Amino acid sequence: MSAIIETSGLTKRYGRVNAVDDVSISLEEGGIHGLLGRNGAGKTTLMQLLTGQEFPSAGTTTVFGERPLENAAVLRRTCFIKESQVYPDDFKGKHVLRSAPWFFDNWDAAFAERLVRAFDVPLDRKVKKLSRGQRSAIGVIVGLASRSELTFLDEPYAGLDAVARQRFYDLLLEDYAAHPRTVVLSTHLIDEAADLLERVLVIDQGRIVIDAATDELRDSATTLVGRSGDVDGFAAGREVIDRTTLGGIASVTLLGLSDEDRRAATAAGLETTRVSLQELIVNRTGGGRAATTEEDAA
Amino acid sequence: MTATDTVTTRPATASAARRMLNVARLHVANPVPTLVLPVFITLVIFGLNAAIWALVVNIAGGADNLDSNAFSYNGGITWIIVFMMVVAVQAMNLTFSYAIGLSVTRRDYYLGTCLYFLALAVGHSAWLTGMAAIERSTDGWGVGGYFFAPFGMWQESLAIIALGYVTTMLLSFSIGAAVATMWVRWRAYGLYAFFLGLAVVLVGAGWAITAADAWPSVGDFLVSTPLEQLFLWTLPLTALCGVVGFLLLRRATPRG
Repeated sequence: MSAIIETSGLTKRYGRVNAVDDVSISLEEGGIHGLLGRNGAGKTTLMQLLTGQEFPSAGTTTVFGERPLENAAVLRRTCFIKESQVYPDDFKGKHVLRSAPWFFDNWDAAFAERLVRAFDVPLDRKVKKLSRGQRSAIGVIVGLASRSELTFLDEPYAGLDAVARQRFYDLLLEDYAAHPRTVVLSTHLIDEAADLLERVLVIDQGRIVIDAATDELRDSATTLVGRSGDVDGFAAGREVIDRTTLGGIASVTLLGLSDEDRRAATAAGLETTRVSLQELIVNRTGGGRAATTEEDAA
Repeated sequence: MTATDTVTTRPATASAARRMLNVARLHVANPVPTLVLPVFITLVIFGLNAAIWALVVNIAGGADNLDSNAFSYNGGITWIIVFMMVVAVQAMNLTFSYAIGLSVTRRDYYLGTCLYFLALAVGHSAWLTGMAAIERSTDGWGVGGYFFAPFGMWQESLAIIALGYVTTMLLSFSIGAAVATMWVRWRAYGLYAFFLGLAVVLVGAGWAITAADAWPSVGDFLVSTPLEQLFLWTLPLTALCGVVGFLLLRRATPRG
């Protein structure tokens, strides 16, 4: 396995704001990866930098071992679908599907047609007259049918309903299995997409705060609920990332519990639940900022 | 699964010429705005002019009762020259954003778009010159009306008329491209700065010409220079605007 994306100290400043701040990541080839973070955290800017659409203020990026900026050889193997994609005036869905194949070597026209049916997109209507969900569906169709070796999907299903989203997940997985490639997916619906993601990058205020395999992350945090005294006793000396107390009942979220620890906690009369990816990320990117940690207190 | 494995049979990256040609095709993915619409509107404008000529002839009781040059000076066709500027503005703004979204490099996009502009200028000039030829062979549609040879150019050769169309359309494209890329790069402030700068340059030039008492020579130049040379004199300006557009777009980020 080799790195398909590598950045070092990658930074993009807009005025005084660092939209992307000293990002150094390395992404292995193959797999579906999540780029998660709050609105304005820098997800889109990072993807624009990786696809040569935005110019870095500092740092370096290599994609397929080369600089992506103005590099046709790299860009032809790359597809970047973003929610805010602009279309020429009066462009209809059919014009998009007519022109997109000219720019992607692996384009599969039959698959594109199947996707059009699956998402039920009206091709003979102007793109700007489509609903948000229908516009998103056009992006999804181009993103999947391009079969690019490196595909970025930035909030690809904004405005799609639950049924269409599920269809998207199914089609993505099915096509990914038949034609393995590298997909970077950004989304707000973390738990919904969690099962798809092999690796998760979390960006907060332009900085990468989590870069880990999804399984590792999911096992990394546990919430314990029980009587305050019991909970505090168990939590002492451990890394607490969140705590709430209500009456005599306390709930704490701890990092790095082993299976043995969990059994011990259950034996001590505490209720243990694994923390969902979403909760964990909310915690790490703002939700838990107000909470004090056990380490701070100690 | 399909029979071919796309991962192992990925075709080599298309050559630079192929990539530019694809960009040019992108502009006709929807042929209405740049091909169908200009022809249609031109024919409508011409139809309205012809209707007015017929009306006047009718009221005058025949073309013989009018000055022989009554309908030989018409500027209606200039709309299409200006429209080419609109085409260029749209191309550098919306279509640029779309092309970048399809993983096209800025360089390929700009050069492919220039190629399309060239083809479009030649194509529109060809049919307009063809109409001018018909106009001439029918003595101005039977009423001495000259629409496709504008501004009294009905006595000039068809080659000069064609040259006039091609060069002014190219100038229109390149000005549109240069101004639109300023917008793409710096938004409204870029345009404020540009038009203020342009006003300063124009007033300055007027001042300098007046101070040097050179207005007569400017007039002489315009009157004595043959038409084809005047048309050819647009080419340096066209090239300059084209280069400015390229340099600006090379560092532009698509909106959205």
